[in-house]
Amino acid sequence: MNQFQYVRPTKRQAAIDAVAKDTTAKFIAGGTNLVDLMKRGIMTPQKLVDINRLPLTKIERENNGLRIGALALNSTVADDKQVREKQPLLSLALNAGASAQLRNMATVGGNMLQRTRCSYFYDLAMPCNKREPGTGCGALEGVNRMHAIFGFSDKCIAVHPSDMSVALVALDATVQVSGPRGNRSIPFADFHRLPGDTPEKDTNLEPGELITAVVVPDGPFTKHVHYQKVRERASYAFALLSVAAALDIDGNNTIKAARLAMGGVAHKPWRLTAAEQALVGKPATEDTFRQAAIVAMQGAKAFKYNAYKLKLGPNTIVQALKTAAAA
Amino acid sequence: MKEQAQDKQIGAPMNRVDGRLKVTGAAKYSAEYEIPGITYAVLVGSTITKGRLTSIDTRAAERAPGVLAVITHFNSPKVPGFDTAGKDPSQPATVGGPLKIFKDDLIRFNDQPIALVVADSWERARFAARLVKAQYAKEKHQTNLEANAAQAFLPTSAKKNPKSPMADYQRGQVDAYKTGAIKLESEYVIPTEVHHPMELQSITAHWEAPDRLTLYDKTQGTLATRRDFAREWNLPEENVKVIATFVGGAFGNALHSWPHESAAIIAAKVVNRPVKLMLTREQMFTMVGYRPYTWQKLGMSATPDGKITAITHESIGQTSTYEEFTESTLAQTRMMYQSPNVTTRYRLAALDIGSPIWMRGPGEATGAFALESAMDEMAHLLNLDPLEFRLRNYTDQDPEKNKPWSTKFLKECYQLGAERVGWNKRQLKPGSLRDGDWLIGYGMGVGTFGAHRGAATVGAQLLPNGTVLLQCATTDIGPGTGTVMTQIAAETLGLSPQKITFDLGKSSYPKAGTQGGSSTVNSVGPAVQEACLALKDKLRGIAASSNAAFASAKKEDVTLTDGYLTVGGNAATRVAYADLLRQPEAATAVTVEAKPGPEGQKYSMYSFSVHFAEVRVHQLTGEVRVSKLVSCADAGTIVNEKTAGNQMKGGAVGGIGMALMEHATIDDRFGRYVTKDFADYHVPVHADSPDVQVAFVNQPDPHVNALGTKGIGEIAIIGVAPAIANAIFNATGKRIRELPITPDKLI
Amino acid sequence: MNTEPDKPTGHDEARRNFLKQSSLLTAFTFVPGPVVQAASGELDEKVAAAFEKVTLKLDVNGVKHKLSVEPRTTLLDLLREQLHLTGTKKGCDYGQCGACTVHVDGQRVNSCLSFAVMHEGKKITTIEGLADGDKLHPMQEAFVKHDGFQCGYCTPGQIMSAVACVREGHAGSEAEIREYMSGNICRCGAYSNIVAAIQEVKDGGQKV
Repeated sequence: MNQFQYVRPTKRQAAIDAVAKDTTAKFIAGGTNLVDLMKRGIMTPQKLVDINRLPLTKIERENNGLRIGALALNSTVADDKQVREKQPLLSLALNAGASAQLRNMATVGGNMLQRTRCSYFYDLAMPCNKREPGTGCGALEGVNRMHAIFGFSDKCIAVHPSDMSVALVALDATVQVSGPRGNRSIPFADFHRLPGDTPEKDTNLEPGELITAVVVPDGPFTKHVHYQKVRERASYAFALLSVAAALDIDGNNTIKAARLAMGGVAHKPWRLTAAEQALVGKPATEDTFRQAAIVAMQGAKAFKYNAYKLKLGPNTIVQALKTAAAA
Repeated sequence: MKEQAQDKQIGAPMNRVDGRLKVTGAAKYSAEYEIPGITYAVLVGSTITKGRLTSIDTRAAERAPGVLAVITHFNSPKVPGFDTAGKDPSQPATVGGPLKIFKDDLIRFNDQPIALVVADSWERARFAARLVKAQYAKEKHQTNLEANAAQAFLPTSAKKNPKSPMADYQRGQVDAYKTGAIKLESEYVIPTEVHHPMELQSITAHWEAPDRLTLYDKTQGTLATRRDFAREWNLPEENVKVIATFVGGAFGNALHSWPHESAAIIAAKVVNRPVKLMLTREQMFTMVGYRPYTWQKLGMSATPDGKITAITHESIGQTSTYEEFTESTLAQTRMMYQSPNVTTRYRLAALDIGSPIWMRGPGEATGAFALESAMDEMAHLLNLDPLEFRLRNYTDQDPEKNKPWSTKFLKECYQLGAERVGWNKRQLKPGSLRDGDWLIGYGMGVGTFGAHRGAATVGAQLLPNGTVLLQCATTDIGPGTGTVMTQIAAETLGLSPQKITFDLGKSSYPKAGTQGGSSTVNSVGPAVQEACLALKDKLRGIAASSNAAFASAKKEDVTLTDGYLTVGGNAATRVAYADLLRQPEAATAVTVEAKPGPEGQKYSMYSFSVHFAEVRVHQLTGEVRVSKLVSCADAGTIVNEKTAGNQMKGGAVGGIGMALMEHATIDDRFGRYVTKDFADYHVPVHADSPDVQVAFVNQPDPHVNALGTKGIGEIAIIGVAPAIANAIFNATGKRIRELPITPDKLI
Repeated sequence: MNTEPDKPTGHDEARRNFLKQSSLLTAFTFVPGPVVQAASGELDEKVAAAFEKVTLKLDVNGVKHKLSVEPRTTLLDLLREQLHLTGTKKGCDYGQCGACTVHVDGQRVNSCLSFAVMHEGKKITTIEGLADGDKLHPMQEAFVKHDGFQCGYCTPGQIMSAVACVREGHAGSEAEIREYMSGNICRCGAYSNIVAAIQEVKDGGQKV
């Protein structure tokens, strides 16, 4: 790993200035992904701005929602009483990710900023447009078992690895950021990007912008929720594919509202709004779920080694919805 | 604590003698020795798969802070042994030889070490290693076995010796299954699997003098390692010390001397300081062997009443271009079932990849996946219970060697396991049992491995404090060698285990073979027994000079107790150790070699196991959970049920890995692994493991050795993967013949 | 804490000059020929080293340390190489195996994935700090009794994780233990025995 300058500001503005003024600088919070990437030489910041001493860890009520500080730990959020009561889907998704130790280190902001786990991105000796624009996409014609079926480009077919983000996009969360030009809010669905011609950019954050919080609006999804993660082993593995499902079901077993998103299928957490609409007003039955799953998969396209996702996707949607409905 | 000698130490579930060291972090592994002036070495690997190095720019690395040396083939000191012709007998029975690091400019596989950076800290060595830039002349490479199957060849060892286990085997008619009444022919694939012990392969090399080398090394054989590196440097063996007191797992990958070890030794010479080298997890895929990708085809025929009439089993395993690695993939097929016609053909495909090395249950674990899956397939064809089918083809003597088994209690294992797993719940028709969306199935798989025994020597000495010190160069990579040897010594001497110290893991101790092939207890155990008996006899002799009772006593009757030697525990006969120890020190010490006798000529000696799995397969997501796993073994005498049971459980967990998740995958365009670490290459975690149940028949085998042991390490995993695959078939009706059985294959 | 807010810790103008100089040195143009080696080490490494290091105060197993470390030194490498606390193991160095698990202010974390400097002023507990003198921690005792290991390499991480698992209240059932211990890989496969050890400690109700 290269040497770097290390600073530990205690004021938000100082942190932002430190990164905004230096293109080689990066924020570091939990470090669970950044340190890994630095060890492998994939990211080589010349300066690290340690934001762990900034007061951004609170989980609090705000305007009909929960405001979760960017530095709240994944484990803290997953076990938080308010989160479990108001947003149990988020708790489930968080606990499906990583390990207990990593969740004790990883922050909410950092979780959103995880880089892809694409093997070609992770290998300096292989081509990757995300790591080194212009070198080509190794996965396109390569071992693309883990790769995208939605929203990819010929420049990049990587997927976003976060579980938490799948729940947050489903729950209509908002990302609050502070930057050199002040504060702004970004709807979660617009936070991550599709690869297009610039796969090197994972998100729509501007240089120097710091995530300060995620706000999750209150909703009716306090009971019928499920996060279904399919992976190659029972725990501590990235998803082959995952589904976040939330239903509001009335006394007649009719779906009043639905939220659905997938992970492991695109360069960003993949919200399935058309499928949600296909659920609303219908009885909460397996047949309804199957119909919605068909809608959800429209436009999906597979590569040589990930065709299974075209079947695993709808199956997992059905399973997630069934489990959510029964919860 | 009251120290009381028990009559039965062998068989007692004693806690490990090194348990305290392991749970307190005090156990020292090969990269953990504090040596003044230690330096840190990091290897740089090639980024092409085949070709030549044309140049290496090391200037930036050399100028980086803290860097002491950058070693490449351009500047490496000459390793004298690299030029010595001939095969190294310590290496696997292969043709060719290990890669000679920094000897030439040839690139034979991707990530082949091309440079070594030595610095005064890990951080600085790692940083500088990234600054080394190489230029290559690339050549077309081959890393895909299927694409090269047509060029597969008979191993040289088989060409030279038609009686070699690698040679084509025939009993009865060739490929008779093809004309059988009821027949099947299936192809099976197991991917490359990697040992991945938790300890990264590490070595600390220290030239204590220009001609005296000390190695703290991750090795399964201190003496093999000593011999290899003494040879590389043309040193007398006694000038090389190898220390491997604790080995953080190995599973076979420390049965070979590897280029990184040579590199550390070269580096220690260059910088004239001790050098510590630890591979990265990525390098564990490329530099220290693996279980080879293997294609197999198995044909089988049977009569309608379930008698196997013929089996043909063929396999092609991968090896490197510079070293012919072979393993006994087809051994189990030749001896497990009563079939009048058996054909086996073993072939190799040489690819541009590093050499494989035996991985737990080597060969047999691969072969058993095909054989035991095919057994299940045939049972299904015959509409027979797979256990019943196996019973109908049970062998009461070895059909390959036409010799009686030394012992075989496999039927007893079948019975034990079937009861424990609840085999009676199994339905003949696949897909019959379910719990909601989870389909439930049961499967079994059988394993076997030769009860190997080699020569071993143990030193034993009565110390002035009344304790007995035993020493042996064997290693303990995890099974609990020190513990069971302590038990054997305690029982033989009649002394409490607390009064015994068994030292291992140093090449300077009396000789033992490598810890591999489930042979350690079979070999070292009897040496401990005999050394203890010899020690008793020696003490008896000394005692006889002052006490007439000892003159006529047999050595077996001599008892060591707290402070005194007695005949049969008779207090009247006692002689104080203090009196015995007035003799010169050597008089209370013995060194005894124990060797296998001629029994191996008369008997066919094997350990046997059977594994029963209950699985749950989710019908929508294809996820598999092994909900029950029962492993039963006929491994002869069980010296310590606690450690032996643990080893069986561990093998079962390894089998879950084989069956469900482990696959090292290469992108053939680049010849590089796309699975590079534990995020891509999954091994089982806690949540993948059920509470594995273990049962031992625990019947001594009187022919392997006087202890009656047969070996556990390999049979713990052999047969587990097919048990799970067969259970998945029983649950779903889907027969998966290519491991691992990941969710995508089941939806 | 002695950290000066909003300022680089232990860096100055000279260091920036050094960085400039070293980046120039690394920017070689490729010169043909079989091997290109540095003519001589022109940099005064001792001077360079001084600029690269920062001070760090840590409490490790109750012992207060004042250290000088490179910012890129991980907590794991600091423990193993500088403090010689080798009980904390390196099994992957990427947060994928759990062998390096330690407690930071009582919480279990992967020491390989954080820089030591990030823990300024914190309390670190490693496997060497778990026992009370010669008296083993109940979890250590239980691991010995249930044979919760084979080779022993993952064991310190397993034990540190197991203690935290019980303290967190995540040892309520066998299934919960297995899930919350899944961040600690044991390649020897002693999982059944590890779970038995944890259950015994949990059910024994001893203070962990």
